[in-house]
Amino acid sequence: MKILVVTEQRQGKWNNTSFETLVAAQQIAAATAGTITAAVVGKNVTTLAEELAAKNVAEVLAVENELLQNYTPDGYCIALKQIVESTKPDLVLFPHTYQVRDFAPKLAAMLGRGMVGDCVGFRREGEKLIFVRQMFQGKTAADVSFVGATPWFASFQSGAFRADMLEAHASGKAPVNTAKVELKAEDIRTKPLELFKEAKASVDLTQAPLIVAIGRGIKAPENIAQAEAVAKALGGEIAASRPICDEGWLPMERQIGSSGQTVAPKLYLALGISGAIQHVVGMKGSRTIVAVNKDQNAPIFEIADYGIVGDIFEIMPALTEELQKAKS
Amino acid sequence: MAIQREQLDADVLIVGAGPAGLSCALHLANLIKKHNTSGAKPELSAENIYVLEKGREIGAHQLSGAIMNPKALAELVPDFEKSAPLDTLVTDSAALLFTQKSSFRFPVTPPPFNNAGNFVISLNKLVKWLGGLVEAAGVNVFKEFGGAELIFAENGIAGVITEDKGVDKNGKPKDNYTPGYKLRAKVTVLAEGPRGSLTKQLVENQKLDNINPQTYGIGIKELWDVQPGKIKPGFVAHTLGWPLSTKMYGGGWIYGLSNNRVSIGLVVALEYADPRFDPHAAFQIWKTHPFVRNLLEGGKLVRYGAKSLPYGGWYSMPRNYVDGGLIVGDSGSFLDSQRLKGVHLAMKSGMLAAETIFEALKAGDTSARTLKLYQEKIDRSYIREELWKVRNFHQSFHNGLLDGFVLSGLQQISGGRGLIDPMHAHPGYEAYQQIYGRPAPERFKGDGKLTFDRLTDVYHSGTRHEEDQPCHLKVLDLNICSTRCVEEYGNPCQYFCPAAVYEMAKEGTGLKLKINAANCVHCKTCDIADPYQIINWTVPEGGGGPNYEGM
Repeated sequence: MKILVVTEQRQGKWNNTSFETLVAAQQIAAATAGTITAAVVGKNVTTLAEELAAKNVAEVLAVENELLQNYTPDGYCIALKQIVESTKPDLVLFPHTYQVRDFAPKLAAMLGRGMVGDCVGFRREGEKLIFVRQMFQGKTAADVSFVGATPWFASFQSGAFRADMLEAHASGKAPVNTAKVELKAEDIRTKPLELFKEAKASVDLTQAPLIVAIGRGIKAPENIAQAEAVAKALGGEIAASRPICDEGWLPMERQIGSSGQTVAPKLYLALGISGAIQHVVGMKGSRTIVAVNKDQNAPIFEIADYGIVGDIFEIMPALTEELQKAKS
Repeated sequence: MAIQREQLDADVLIVGAGPAGLSCALHLANLIKKHNTSGAKPELSAENIYVLEKGREIGAHQLSGAIMNPKALAELVPDFEKSAPLDTLVTDSAALLFTQKSSFRFPVTPPPFNNAGNFVISLNKLVKWLGGLVEAAGVNVFKEFGGAELIFAENGIAGVITEDKGVDKNGKPKDNYTPGYKLRAKVTVLAEGPRGSLTKQLVENQKLDNINPQTYGIGIKELWDVQPGKIKPGFVAHTLGWPLSTKMYGGGWIYGLSNNRVSIGLVVALEYADPRFDPHAAFQIWKTHPFVRNLLEGGKLVRYGAKSLPYGGWYSMPRNYVDGGLIVGDSGSFLDSQRLKGVHLAMKSGMLAAETIFEALKAGDTSARTLKLYQEKIDRSYIREELWKVRNFHQSFHNGLLDGFVLSGLQQISGGRGLIDPMHAHPGYEAYQQIYGRPAPERFKGDGKLTFDRLTDVYHSGTRHEEDQPCHLKVLDLNICSTRCVEEYGNPCQYFCPAAVYEMAKEGTGLKLKINAANCVHCKTCDIADPYQIINWTVPEGGGGPNYEGM
């Protein structure tokens, strides 16, 4: 069986699941007396290709093109279609990464072939090659085999094979060939913007010593600025009870309570928060709790160290002013 | 582009791992084992039985009083007393009449309230135990998977599609998006409990309704740990009267469990006139009765929950078989509304379904032609015997308690026939009377020790849902909520929901419905009691919902 493994790199750095997939390929090759071609796609990937050549593979292909510098689904599909057509593999394997999920089904569809994604293993049964994939969140496994014509496409889940089982090349090095692919700029319909990492919670409320939290009493999103002014004057972070985040007035990461974060700051200033138990469990460990609420029977006063029965819209500006005075 | 769903084929697919669904699975697995050991053909396999459960664990969504008549369990697991978590045998059953200040015990406990020989149980624990037996028998139970859609076939059903996972608030797939599975089965058993969302679709689609529509009640329950000596394990009491008016159908319960644990609750038929009646508040007020207050004093709330129950009985039972499908348990109206007992009937219905399926699999015919055997089995079993006697019972109370006592008394001495047979029933939501501008009553707040507001109680239900998912409570026309319903009924959803899911929020000069779906305890009351029938309860992402540990 002729196997093509499409590895994944980004800006010269490997996605390590690639090596796990190579292990899978080596094991399938061993079971089927097959050969492996390992491909690496991008611009200036010869160094990476040399690295692959040290592994037990028959050939390494450096799929080079200026337009492959950054990943685009069109660029990758057009390039890899040509590679599949010229190398004529029986089986094309990918690591099951986000990027592969994005383009591999499209590539298979372009060639009119089937794809089995997110496999965790394989088995040989007589002449049949069986792929195993998990269903029902791993509760059960499904055996899948291809019925259509080759090439078959499959991807392996991260962790399904152990990268440290990767065999080195017996005689030191496999040949590295550069594969030319034809790509036109106009065939690529998307333009990748700068890479970015999704900002993790920009704020870690659990580390904040001072928290100003707002609840339903704030009434409207435009009033949040007043609470933010208090927080700023105090040098604290703004947070909220669930209804505020539910409405989208503040991001989820600022939600305190049973469905949000649990905090224990030195000072917790609760503005217009009634103190439903769902909120209280997230902040009752605070060292000092100050609550402001119109309703003197609000349960928040039961756990507050200091309470003000009053209108937050009177208290917030006054508090900001006093805090600023005290600072200056 | 159509979603490509993974498909899986089963012999039998059971939706819901409650007493009915699990009894069906276990009984069928036992029959198959015996069949295969005898060498009979065709060989069958318990591994081809799948059970779906939307809860995080088997039992997580189980709520009942519960007093259980053990007769079905004894048939299913003959040596059940060795290992089943039964808690305690009933030692004393009382019927109490409450007035605001006092209580009177009926000198002779009326037969329907007599529970000698029955067990006080935690349904959660019993079902968890039963689930263990089912899994040990080789049946596949898929937890955290709900049945979202039926796969319809010409005169019936061919399986179920599970819910999509990893979809955000706006319906967009997230990183962990997994489309629901398409599970095709020779026989699909709907064991969803009261007002099943798939059962509702099937009954509508195949016009399975009986001569009476289904009528429902809501049960609200709290589990308490009380001071030692306050109650004997096995003491069970049912209360009538205060705080419910004589026009309302319902009552309270107090069941003594072992280790100073008490199950208390209130059941109310969802067919009352005042659209702003609040069942949760009524239950809280009931707790302030001296009898209950004294019991709970110094105790601690352990858990809270609520669940609807089908009151309709025999004449509300839908046709429970179609091509490739059966309905069991509360979904199929297997509940004795006089004794308020359904666990043993649910289990028995599941077992009869299993016997029917076993015959159908052997014969290789799972069409209604073979599956109607289920109805024949029901007719020959104690299910019919018990339900037939009380076929007109609940309907007798349509005009209040006094009429009800007279009419049901006459039924009692005429084998259930009474004056009129069959007595007709009306959907409960038709009972609402309009508010005509009457101001809304003040909401019940609770003292935080004996009585609680709804949010505090919901907290004690252990309810949790993935926050970023589409709202699973589909309101078909939000306009009605802010216009007609405000005027006509004052938005009863704000009152009947025991989990504070529905809220009319001020918007400009008007009101707008806000749905706090994450609070939902899956009781289905909204789907049942909405006056315009525009709330559609659908399954949220699997694993969401209450955690009824010990309930």
